[in-house]
Amino acid sequence: MIVFKNIVLNVHQQTLLDGATLRISGGDKIVVRGRSGCGKSSLLKCAGGALPLAGGSISINDLTLTPATVAAIRSKIAFIGQEPMLGTENVRDALLLPFHFKAHHGNQPTDERMAQLLDHLHLPARILDQPCKRISGGEKQRIAIARALLLNKTIFFADEVTSALDPESKAAVMTELFRPEITLLSISHDSEWVNACDRVIEITKAQLVEAIQ
Amino acid sequence: MTTDLSLPAMISMYALMGVPLAILVYLQLGMVRDMLIGMVRMTLQLILVGLYLKYIFQLNHPLVSLLWVAVMLGVANFSILRKAGLKPGPFFWRSLIGIAGSTLLVSGWFILIAIRPDPIYDARYMVPIVGMILGNCLRSNVLSLERFYSGIRKNENEFMTYLMLGATLHEATRPYLRDAVKAAINPAIATMATMGIVSLPGMMTGQILGGTMPIIAIKYQIGIMICIFTAMVIAALVNILLSLSVAFDDHQRLKQTIFISEQ
Repeated sequence: MIVFKNIVLNVHQQTLLDGATLRISGGDKIVVRGRSGCGKSSLLKCAGGALPLAGGSISINDLTLTPATVAAIRSKIAFIGQEPMLGTENVRDALLLPFHFKAHHGNQPTDERMAQLLDHLHLPARILDQPCKRISGGEKQRIAIARALLLNKTIFFADEVTSALDPESKAAVMTELFRPEITLLSISHDSEWVNACDRVIEITKAQLVEAIQ
Repeated sequence: MTTDLSLPAMISMYALMGVPLAILVYLQLGMVRDMLIGMVRMTLQLILVGLYLKYIFQLNHPLVSLLWVAVMLGVANFSILRKAGLKPGPFFWRSLIGIAGSTLLVSGWFILIAIRPDPIYDARYMVPIVGMILGNCLRSNVLSLERFYSGIRKNENEFMTYLMLGATLHEATRPYLRDAVKAAINPAIATMATMGIVSLPGMMTGQILGGTMPIIAIKYQIGIMICIFTAMVIAALVNILLSLSVAFDDHQRLKQTIFISEQ
């Protein structure tokens, strides 16, 4: 369960959300829409503690976002941006990066597990040895999704993750992210993605408003 | 004894500055005023320091020497933070601990363990050695702090990605810490590697001009280079680590208000 309660979000001296509330049940698939610059991406970022709230509260699985809980909340969620940062030289290192952190020590996946996951996301196993600089935006998005899945994360904040994908790759990503155990809060302009979601939320007049599909 | 430079000799030296001045005017770099201010400041500061050092060396009192060292540390610390683009207020004391700790540790090592002058607090050793180490630490710390915070600022998405992947603040900042320390010590490594071939170091040259045997001057130069390098590495690391708690908020986000440009 994710609850945004009366949140106030100011970015660059502009109030993007003003007392907005949204409740998301576990396993829900939500897509957020709104005009450019209305605060869609900022909503996703503030849930991970990347942007400060000017008011209200956010709780994820009964943990309210505070300095004491921010690390625990970040460990539950995956944030996938339009141009994900992989943060390493090659793809294998990118997938293994979180397992070098204390929080995930000892849970390192095998090459077989990585290859299997890459296959599900329509990526060839040989991509593991490619430099991150040489792969496309769409491949980076799928690598970032694979990395989150390797961490067994079940809450995904996805910002336009199919914008750079061909139909087959998009279908593969949707198959992974629309599994029943995954809670998905997303931003997308793709009609297929929007139709697959349970709920559509519009950002209108700094509020989160349920739209009728 | 070193040959003194007469007044006409000094005038001839200032006359040499006419060459870079003419080049700056020709290139229209708009730096003539800065250059002249820099030259006047250098002259006045060195005259004052010369007079003060003469007094310190004559007095040779440990408290007076330590007071001078404290002034040097304070000014250097303030200068490091300003040049690194950071507001001195939040960082001053933390940065002072880093710069003072590293400088005093290695100068103490050099003076108390290696040189062992008589008296042990001899100002002719304490003041120049601390000054040389501090001057070099100043340059390297400007580089390391600037590189560290600008690195995180420019790569904020990457930094937040590390946090989202479960990194602690120390783990998420480590790539930028590595870059910063590397940037700080690279010039010193290059200088050490070419010393004696490309450049004749100032301390050694000064001692030789002062009448010291070259072999003794070389030993001092090796000692001071090791001290400088050690202090640089310690100060770069300690300054960054101590600054983390004031530079990031309680959600590990970089505070934009720490930068001088952000008012």
